[in-house]
Amino acid sequence: MTLNNKGSLLSMSDKFADDSTQDRLRKRRQNINVLFRRDSELRGKLAIYCGAVLIILATISLTVFLVWQGLRLFLFDGVNPLSFIFSRDWNPGDSTHPTYGALPMIFGSFAITFLSVIIAMPISIGTALFMSEISRKWGNKALRPVIEILVGIPSVVYGLVGLTLIVPFIVAHGGGIGYGLLPGMIVVGLMIMPTITSIAADALQSIPQELRNASYALGATKWQTIYKVVIPAALPSLLTAVVLGMARAFGEALAVQMIIGNVADIPHSLVKPASTLTTIITLNMGHTTNGSAFNHALWSLGLILLIMSYIFILITRYLSRRSKVL
Amino acid sequence: MIGVQEKTIVDFPHRDQEKKAFVEVDNLSVYYGDFQAVKQVSMPIEKNTITALIGPSGCGKSTFLRALNRMNDMLTSARTEGSVYYDGVSLLDEDIDVSALRKEVGMVFQRPNPFPKSIYDNVVHALRYHGIRQKSEVKALVQESLEQAALWDEVSDRLDVSALSLSGGQQQRLCIARTLALKPRVILFDEPTSALDPISTAKIENLMLELKKNYTLIVVTHNMQQAARIADNTAFFYQGELVEYNATNEFFNQPKEKRTAEYINGQFS
Amino acid sequence: MKSQVSNRVAIVLISACAGLMALIMIALVGNIFYQGIGHVTWHFLTTVASTFQVGGGIKDQLWNSFYLLIVTMIFTIPLGIAGGVYLSEYAKQSRVTSFIRSCVEVLASLPSIIVGLFGMLIFVDTFHVGYSIVSGAVALTIFNLPVIVRVTEDSIRSVPADLKQASFGLGVGHWYTIKKVLLPAAFPGILTGIILSAGRVFGESAVLLYTAGLTSPDLDFKNWSPFAFDSPLNPFRSAETLSVHIWSINTEAIVKDAPQVAAGSAVVLILFVLVFNLLARVLGAWIQKRMSGKS
Repeated sequence: MTLNNKGSLLSMSDKFADDSTQDRLRKRRQNINVLFRRDSELRGKLAIYCGAVLIILATISLTVFLVWQGLRLFLFDGVNPLSFIFSRDWNPGDSTHPTYGALPMIFGSFAITFLSVIIAMPISIGTALFMSEISRKWGNKALRPVIEILVGIPSVVYGLVGLTLIVPFIVAHGGGIGYGLLPGMIVVGLMIMPTITSIAADALQSIPQELRNASYALGATKWQTIYKVVIPAALPSLLTAVVLGMARAFGEALAVQMIIGNVADIPHSLVKPASTLTTIITLNMGHTTNGSAFNHALWSLGLILLIMSYIFILITRYLSRRSKVL
Repeated sequence: MIGVQEKTIVDFPHRDQEKKAFVEVDNLSVYYGDFQAVKQVSMPIEKNTITALIGPSGCGKSTFLRALNRMNDMLTSARTEGSVYYDGVSLLDEDIDVSALRKEVGMVFQRPNPFPKSIYDNVVHALRYHGIRQKSEVKALVQESLEQAALWDEVSDRLDVSALSLSGGQQQRLCIARTLALKPRVILFDEPTSALDPISTAKIENLMLELKKNYTLIVVTHNMQQAARIADNTAFFYQGELVEYNATNEFFNQPKEKRTAEYINGQFS
Repeated sequence: MKSQVSNRVAIVLISACAGLMALIMIALVGNIFYQGIGHVTWHFLTTVASTFQVGGGIKDQLWNSFYLLIVTMIFTIPLGIAGGVYLSEYAKQSRVTSFIRSCVEVLASLPSIIVGLFGMLIFVDTFHVGYSIVSGAVALTIFNLPVIVRVTEDSIRSVPADLKQASFGLGVGHWYTIKKVLLPAAFPGILTGIILSAGRVFGESAVLLYTAGLTSPDLDFKNWSPFAFDSPLNPFRSAETLSVHIWSINTEAIVKDAPQVAAGSAVVLILFVLVFNLLARVLGAWIQKRMSGKS
């Protein structure tokens, strides 16, 4: 293992034999090569920082623009915000006495959200429990791909299934014209199930096995362990999963619009047509003129959506802070 | 002229106190937040020697080593005080180009950490950064450094194979070759063989003895026998302090400090 | 004994839930395929959509979906990777950093209809670009950005710290290390994330209603100049995509075979989404293997 090429070994240090170590190591005295290299470091850093700035810009401008546009109805068209929120009379298209009451849509959005969660939650949490407590093998091998496929199905396809399968089914069983909150809650419920399941399954699987072992060692059954140990430990994350499902339900537009009937009225039953904030917007936005009060009213509906989205974000943040404490 | 501190043992004979050593550490302290990991350590390190730093876990020897090529800069909570002189240049100054410093003061880590690239690209990565791009020059440097690291014969026919397919000992020699390619003058080793089997360890120890001829080596090791085998001088660190520092023979046969003797005799580790 | 009984009951119920979930998927996907697979013919894929007559196809819509996807990715990938690199490598613990994280979180949580409305506000109302590929792509970029940022940050963070240390120990600079060591090592994870997000973008509809529009000019596939009105490559023309087409055909169209066209479109849509999912897994695993095994 002798070192050959001893001559060339020193060739590079020969090059520096004249420069002193100071020249090599001190920043000011270095040659162009080194300065050029440092320059590309700065360029890379600059490019990255630009990207970060653009992200901030996008979020802020989105919020500002939508808030500004949503407030136009109140600032320029003289509509009272309170009457907007609490009035049931939605008729902005009327030429003589247009009214701007958003309550039916607000009701519809909340109704769809809560009803769909009621359908989705038991099945989702149940599936998540199966995946993490009963059979992790089957859970990860068979159910995870299933859930991924379900998550990947576009929402319009869910709407299509609702339209072609669920609505006729309801009609055939005496449900009037079939459109309304019932198909809405079924379709949206199906849509948010995979979301809730996958987050809940992750949350449950991340509970350390030691907790379960301790419970079994005390003689508890599997079910007792689940509802006395595992679920309380994972509760904030499980709630987060449900809240995220709710947020998705609240913001769902096209699938709901295909089956809810789009009548701006608070329905008296689950099979009477209704509407949500999102569906009224999608239905009418293309048909209003820019600057008209009708148009502004739609933007104000969008503002309500935006505010609710922020509220959902705050709720999930609060929950995740609580799960860190546990 | 270094200041003689009452805490540190710089009673290091065989040395001309007037001239600064090749690497001269002067009253070096390193803090992680409020915790002082290295406590006012001073020691001279002569050119073309192997210096071993031994001591129990957490005694600050790795932190000390990393201060020499300013690797502690990577941690935001680390704060360094005192001075380190390399060939007369004060390394802890603000106007030091750390990148150029690390080219001359290289480091080999405890766990082999080759990049998930080919063997060739591993060696070439830093060369390209430091401006050496000419293909002929690069190829020659790759061969040279792999030969110096005693790896060339084993890999010369498969330089484009992933470095991760090499054995642990080979990977560590690749990491040494990577450092050698930059033609450093000092090489720092942070427990280089603690993750390797005995045969690879022996190969690398022989390698270090060869490298000593042209480089200055500073080796942190958990293994006292290793220090005894290869080091010219040995230093004992305990709880951040430099307790004793002497030529290896005297260090092990006639330790001056009680703590040193206790550690050597295995009374604590 | 009571606890044993309730244990059994609980386990049965829980397993029933899982079974139900699997059943739902089979029923859902199966139903769509059953309804639409018969309609998916070569003719269907290569014929122009029809507004009045039976027998319309999805040629232009299919092209638009892909073109829009590519343009969106051209915007999203550099921006998203920059954001992820910033958060994992350059950001220090500060109020600015947590603000950026909040921004990413907000963008990730917004309903797609809102992103679409914003896109409309900017492009159609303010800049008067009108319904176009560009408007749709920017809106989709906003929609897709958080995913790419998160995936990039997670992938870079999961690169062993050893590698960064090794590179720094050799005197290599931060940006060069990111470019030549960290990003390549994080590549499999980032690529998987990008392909999965492509599946989401491909199926997205609410964002595009008022940005890319509900119509598409009859594309002349012989004319590839980006400046022609009916060129496939023209980024300033309106561009109804496949998923928007499913919606518009059920809501606004009056063709007699709307249900069949919708079902056929849905089948094509799902197939492509499945392909994206599969590709992401397979490609990601293959690249990972190559990097750690051979060369």
